[in-house]
Amino acid sequence: MSDNVIKVTNISKKFRLYHEKRTTFFEALSGILDRKQYFEDLHVLNEISFELKKGEALGILGRNGSGKTTLLRILSKIYKPDSGSVEINGTLVPLLALGLGFHPELTAIANIYQSSILLGFDKKEISTHVDAIIKFAELEKFADTKIKNFSQGMLMRLAFSTAVQVNPDILLLDEVVAVGDMNFQKKCFATIQDFKKRGKSIVLVSHSINDIESVCDRAIFLNKGNMVKIGPTKEVVSEYQNFMKSQK
Amino acid sequence: MKLIRKIMNHIVDEMWKLRRILFNFAITDLKIKYRNSILGILWSIIEPLLLLGVLFFVFSTMFKIEIPNFPIYLLTGIITWNFFKNGTSLALNSLSNRSPILTQIYFPRSFPAISSTITASILLITELVVLGIFMVILGFIPPNTIILLIPIFLLGFLLILGISLPLSVLNVKYKDAEFIWTVVLSAGFFLTPIFYRFDMLPEHVQSILQFSPMVQLVTMTQHVVLYGTLPSTNSILYAIGTTSVILIIGYLIFRKLQLRIVEEM
Repeated sequence: MSDNVIKVTNISKKFRLYHEKRTTFFEALSGILDRKQYFEDLHVLNEISFELKKGEALGILGRNGSGKTTLLRILSKIYKPDSGSVEINGTLVPLLALGLGFHPELTAIANIYQSSILLGFDKKEISTHVDAIIKFAELEKFADTKIKNFSQGMLMRLAFSTAVQVNPDILLLDEVVAVGDMNFQKKCFATIQDFKKRGKSIVLVSHSINDIESVCDRAIFLNKGNMVKIGPTKEVVSEYQNFMKSQK
Repeated sequence: MKLIRKIMNHIVDEMWKLRRILFNFAITDLKIKYRNSILGILWSIIEPLLLLGVLFFVFSTMFKIEIPNFPIYLLTGIITWNFFKNGTSLALNSLSNRSPILTQIYFPRSFPAISSTITASILLITELVVLGIFMVILGFIPPNTIILLIPIFLLGFLLILGISLPLSVLNVKYKDAEFIWTVVLSAGFFLTPIFYRFDMLPEHVQSILQFSPMVQLVTMTQHVVLYGTLPSTNSILYAIGTTSVILIIGYLIFRKLQLRIVEEM
């Protein structure tokens, strides 16, 4: 029995880049007559492999469009890889963009329930955490407000505190910590560190090298869907910085 | 047959494993359907009653259609049709409305369609209560065969599911699905014996329309609610046959399209 919580083997993913997107039946029909290819394949990820151990934090660095978010979406099963395999051991909570699958027409509390149930947690168990989630997010006054009236910062706070309070084994974070104010950012990092100490695993995508250096044990440097380097954070960060300088 | 069993197992398994999510979605659907409305879920009762009033007025005073117990006849047809209409129209946008959720969390893509079918079943139950109240007011004592509504509506559930699954994914990929389906629904309302009797139609029209599962389902409900007779074997065979074909084709379309559906959003 290995202590890997995530094992990714040779995953590749390509998207169709539509030049004129066919979104109506008529266009689809006329496309049968006119057989010229109207999309090209965009290789977003090529043969990516890595492992993540229990209690380890992995950073992912790369320019915009290098496939970071796609990789996280594959890890959280939202996208299916074209080839390769992903093995996940334990409960995983993805915190991608702002939200955790929130519905704008539902209140903060209803959203906490809906998201945690979708993530596979037990309703009874969640009800013991609801107060703590609201308190951590500093949203006591807005617990019964529909979240369509929330600001970006409020949404992010709600999402982050739900994600950590349901206590998953693996947490995927995509640029989320950047939204809150300074005090909340501090609180987030303290929580993330504490999370790690308790033997949980983290995958962190960030453009902030400071964040990656302070949290992650190892890092991956992605460029145009290829894994340029994987290793201890320091080495990967310096390679990334050199690369960015050379691109100027 | 093997394929049907496989599909059924798949659906029942998923439904049981993730019943909490389904129930949660169904409640959300209801909350969102009736948001900002003062009467809320009462609309699900008022709406069929208003339709009943209009149809009754038009067809009993203007067209003089002679059907015994006409109000009950109408209401039975309206309720059965509404079950179908509510289920499929809720399913239409069930997936595309949840695009923010789908791009952030994984859950089986069949859920929105299954849960909207459950929502339609909840609405069906409230409408059946109205039918019951109506019977009391009119002093109509239903025959024992009314219990057969249960298997008939179960068949209706499968029919709705067979259409909802492909409809929910098709509407993400092709926005035309919504417009086409609206036309199908309004045509279907007139081509289904809700305010007339099926045997009033010319023979050659009957021979085509008998392939509509909704024609069979509505005829069957009228049989068991009003006449106290068992539906004809023909009706039952046609209803089960067409529903199975729709369920299989619908499931296959759904299975193929759902793989890349989140990337289309």
